[in-house]
Amino acid sequence: MGDPQFVRLSVYPVRVGRALLPGPMLNQGGQECPSYLKTRLKMKLGNLSRREMLKLGSIAGLSMAEILHLQQVAPAKDQKSREDINCIFLFIVGGMPHQDMWDLKPDAPQGIRGDFDPISTPVPGIQLGDVIPKTATVADKFAILRSLTHPDSDHGRGFHTMMTGRSPGAGEFNGNNKNNNMHPCVGSMVAKLGKPGALPPYISLPNFLNSGGPSFLGPSYGPFTIEADPAAPEFAVRDITLPTSVTDVRNRRRQEALKAFNQFEAGAERAGRQVRALDQFYQKAVSLMTSQRAKGAFDITRESEAMREKYGMTSIGQCCLLARRMVEAGCRFVSVENGHWDTHRKNTYSLRELLCPAFDQAVPALLNDLTDRGMLEKTLVVITTEFGRTPRINDLLGRDHWPNAFSIVMAGAGVQGGQVIGATDKIAGEVADRPITAPDMTATILYALGIDHEKVIRTPLGRPVPLADEGRPVYELFG
Amino acid sequence: MSHSRLISLAVLAATLSPNARAEEVFREVPRLPVPPKTEWTIAVSPTPIRLTAANRRQQIVVTVRKDGRDVDVTRDATIEMVSTEVATVTGSVITAKKDGKTGLKVRYGKMDWEVLVEVENASSFPPVHFVNDIVPLFSKLGCNSGGCHGKVSGQNGFKLSVFGFDPHADFASLSRESRGRRIFTGDPERSLLILKAIGASAHGGGRRCVPGSADHELLSNWIRQGMPWGNDSAPTVQSVRVFPTSRLLDKSADQQLLVTAVYSDGSTRDVTDAASYSTNSPVIADVVPGGLVYTGVVPGPAAITVNYMGQVAAAKIIVPQELSDGEFPATPVGNPIDGLVWSDLKKLGILPSERCDDSTFLRRTSLRVLGRLPSVKEVRSFLADDKPDKRSRKIDELLSRDGFADYQALRWADILLVDRRLLGERGAYEFHQWLRKQMAKNRPYDEWVHELLTATGVSGKYGPVNFYRAMRTPDELTRGVSQAFLGVRMDCAQCHHHPFEKWGQEDFYGMAGFFNGLQRKKLSDSRELIYHAGYKPTKMPLTEVLVETRPPGGEPIDTTAADPRVQLAEWMTSPENPMFARLVANRLWKQFIGRALVEPVDDLRSTNPASNEPLRKHLTQRVVENDFDLKAVAREILNSQTYQLSSRSNESNKRDEQNFSHYLEERLPAEALLDAICDVTAVPENFPGMPKGTRAVHVWDNRFPSYFLDTFGRSLRQSPCECGKSGAPTMSQALHLMNAPEISAKLSSDRGRAARLSNCGKTSHEILEEFMLAAWGRLPNDRERKAAAKIFSQSDQRQASEDLLWAILNSYDFLFIR
Repeated sequence: MGDPQFVRLSVYPVRVGRALLPGPMLNQGGQECPSYLKTRLKMKLGNLSRREMLKLGSIAGLSMAEILHLQQVAPAKDQKSREDINCIFLFIVGGMPHQDMWDLKPDAPQGIRGDFDPISTPVPGIQLGDVIPKTATVADKFAILRSLTHPDSDHGRGFHTMMTGRSPGAGEFNGNNKNNNMHPCVGSMVAKLGKPGALPPYISLPNFLNSGGPSFLGPSYGPFTIEADPAAPEFAVRDITLPTSVTDVRNRRRQEALKAFNQFEAGAERAGRQVRALDQFYQKAVSLMTSQRAKGAFDITRESEAMREKYGMTSIGQCCLLARRMVEAGCRFVSVENGHWDTHRKNTYSLRELLCPAFDQAVPALLNDLTDRGMLEKTLVVITTEFGRTPRINDLLGRDHWPNAFSIVMAGAGVQGGQVIGATDKIAGEVADRPITAPDMTATILYALGIDHEKVIRTPLGRPVPLADEGRPVYELFG
Repeated sequence: MSHSRLISLAVLAATLSPNARAEEVFREVPRLPVPPKTEWTIAVSPTPIRLTAANRRQQIVVTVRKDGRDVDVTRDATIEMVSTEVATVTGSVITAKKDGKTGLKVRYGKMDWEVLVEVENASSFPPVHFVNDIVPLFSKLGCNSGGCHGKVSGQNGFKLSVFGFDPHADFASLSRESRGRRIFTGDPERSLLILKAIGASAHGGGRRCVPGSADHELLSNWIRQGMPWGNDSAPTVQSVRVFPTSRLLDKSADQQLLVTAVYSDGSTRDVTDAASYSTNSPVIADVVPGGLVYTGVVPGPAAITVNYMGQVAAAKIIVPQELSDGEFPATPVGNPIDGLVWSDLKKLGILPSERCDDSTFLRRTSLRVLGRLPSVKEVRSFLADDKPDKRSRKIDELLSRDGFADYQALRWADILLVDRRLLGERGAYEFHQWLRKQMAKNRPYDEWVHELLTATGVSGKYGPVNFYRAMRTPDELTRGVSQAFLGVRMDCAQCHHHPFEKWGQEDFYGMAGFFNGLQRKKLSDSRELIYHAGYKPTKMPLTEVLVETRPPGGEPIDTTAADPRVQLAEWMTSPENPMFARLVANRLWKQFIGRALVEPVDDLRSTNPASNEPLRKHLTQRVVENDFDLKAVAREILNSQTYQLSSRSNESNKRDEQNFSHYLEERLPAEALLDAICDVTAVPENFPGMPKGTRAVHVWDNRFPSYFLDTFGRSLRQSPCECGKSGAPTMSQALHLMNAPEISAKLSSDRGRAARLSNCGKTSHEILEEFMLAAWGRLPNDRERKAAAKIFSQSDQRQASEDLLWAILNSYDFLFIR
């Protein structure tokens, strides 16, 4: 919920004239949450008469001009200029320990504070864990959000919550299934609503991320998955180039014949849903194969050895580099998966020896590289995770799951670096200031990419569903 | 009052008053401003309205009958109480005030109706009953849901059992709180329990109920009364009733439901507000809390399931399509399946498609039955056959081929987890071989399942014991066996009462008891001896309470028997067990038609009804009548007109996906597609460690590396269901079919079909025909001939043949079963 003082009173659709609106969200004084009223109005205004709208507007305290503005599909001016912004979405799988990296509590008692000491950064007042010293040197480039919170302490549910901005709900949900989405993930929202580029709009590196699916948006908006590790010596994205024996001329002949064979399908409403879905993928695949620039984006060997070394010859390093190549070539949303952060045992050892070195090499390299290329202003970098880790260190010297309060990091796309948003209590256990919810995160990413975060999409039934639920962008990020 | 004035009032009320139920203030807005005809009648349900101490609140539904059809106007009628002293009305909900009698006036258009309202014993708040009143309230408000206080760890120190499955524990934990801040019996309104619920104190879950509402009142009164557990002999909920039980609705229309709980003493209570609702087809009709159903634009049937305290009822909603009477084609005779499908379609106003042509029939049936394409020769001779019974003869012939057993074995290997990683090579091989043998003999389903469930022996010698190796604990086996053979998802019942079913923990651990005592003796690295050492008592975890071993819903077993599994197998495979036959009937339907009668195919419960319930019953009955000879039932399905409908949809059925009005296209499953590519190119695949000529559908090893099968979605064999197979299209599939070096090598192989045909002096026309017969099972049309001619005019015959074959392999006529 965007604002805790408001509560969704009723999910009953409310009839206004011939229109059905979702029920109101009210605070204790009985006033309707203004931002949600706007959402509600937007869902249905198109179906109301001018007179009905005027009445609605006068009660909501809006002028006719404002109502007409609400109705407009075109985003506001600021949003328009954001349409070209792409996103690199780095997901730390397992649960990133906020108190050891981003939100140090050196004064907390033994057994909570952990083994890492705070180190200074170029930004006065911001300290990070000494386990990510290189990342600390670029603290002026990113913002730390220290007050993320959601209620799901299970990996699968937490994953779903942080990938989509919605809890999977009380019904049947199996977090172990890969494509388990009850709501579209944010990458699929971008694929559906963002401005298309030369590459598939949503690419997943190196594997399909759990809950990275499109849900009711349909399979066309799922990710293109590379399924190979760019750090491996023989890395190549398979099947994107023509077989060696097939020249471009030959390929054109083949495609022409294929078009003739599939002709009665083209645009035919009678073709079944499955056929239409596969047809879309064929079209996208052909445009990928025929564009040199697009194909080149997948070829990591075109980068110099020096550049590759800078990112580190690790999975996370090379994925970050490949992600940069992809947004450069016109992909809108690249999700990068980095796993094995579930440090239930030997947290200190795991972070210091196994996990953080690669992370600490890749992240500053990515931010510096984007800056050098002048791309940082046009690229939103999100470093997120399903939840944080328990304040108390357990008997196995590990930390367990902790969704009550945790940190994520954002940079680029106008995000003012060197700032901290939100705060936790003395042991980094609960949010002390400015709680940020998963829907807020989704709204922020959509906003940053020039997509109307209040956009209401319709399920196959036609039920209106606000993309980011009641989430509101963390506007402070953008100064 | 003018229209706009009404709206402004309405919005004002909705905006400013938190207590106003949204629909209340809108009731005066006429939605159907049509003057009523004389033959219209109006009725209010329930009639008369009796409010008592226990039932202080009553939802009403106003129905107008016009032209023989009932229409819900609850939200559009004017509803007033004659005396607001006795009872008040808020929207369409009546609330008791004081004892007496009065009238309820309902006006809609020019129609009036008055109903008697009686109020008895309203003055005193009745004794609150924890199980009957408070637990359902926690469920309704979501307090005990899995995401909140129902979590194993509770939420912020307050823990309830999930969905209220353990009222005793909930009661105990709340009573303990009466010594703390959470509950003040002296001043209920200062209890955190109430302050948090009404949002007067910071609450992570937000405000759950409106101050002053009936829910708030109930909670306060319970605390004021000293938090009673309630009388143990108090009446319990016996059943729920829903009104209406079935209704035709227009597109974009709505219907208020009325849900009544019936108690063991015969008393009733309106629980519309507290019941939970779900739909089996949200595309057709969806439902929101409070029991308001609304429809979309897609015609078809939907079942709205109502659940209150474990009791279930369903309302069938049908959204028909406009269709004039004369149009509907006559029902095909001779096969009861068609009668049941046609009568449904007629009700829905959906026209069935035409019967498919012979070549489509042959290709479809060959793929569905054998998982392989018909050969060129077979297509030619079938098309040349002009006897009227050629389809049914073909069905018999295909069902009698070895390939049917191979393909069935693959399906069952997916469901029964024939996983090489868990079973070892020998175990997986023996298990697969055994399954194949049962299929080849067409052994009755009940017999082979009985043998499987009671299997004893060495895993490397006797296939079926491997069933007890992939799933190892009694808990896993309980979940697996009930899902694979009964279509019951017992997972929920392991920890709490199944929220949508009658199963509880006693059922789960009662069934687990059959597998308690199962022994696995390790013989070598990958071989085990599996046997049952006899009955062993089973205890419920945590509580340590002993649970009687018994089948779900059945009688306790004889604990002296040597192998209790025999009793489970007897119970399970008995024709009297309704769950056993209905699941396999549903599976068969899905296998041939592409969509099960109940989806997901193995989640059969009263709250998940079939899209055509009479047809489901019929097929189940046929399975039993045929003594579990599944081939006989398959034959009936394949011979039906329903199965043989064309996939080309018409204007009236193009949106229908669940009433079988046209055949649903489906991409070839991964294994069949790989075999089809090999057959069309005439270059077989080499599978490591398998004899030459092995086809993908034969392979018992699910773990051999294959990018093709992974990309096109082979089953991972990780859970006992058909859900592991994925047919969802992806961009990787399109890229692979177009560019993969492996497929390219098959196209250009010197031993392949393209090379062979272009080397033996065939004309381009003959080459095209043979390609198409091999891949599409039909002859080309003019447009296709023209496209092929162009290819042949552009390069030499060999290269042109390869290019043509490439286009054919990427065409939808090849990739889909149509």
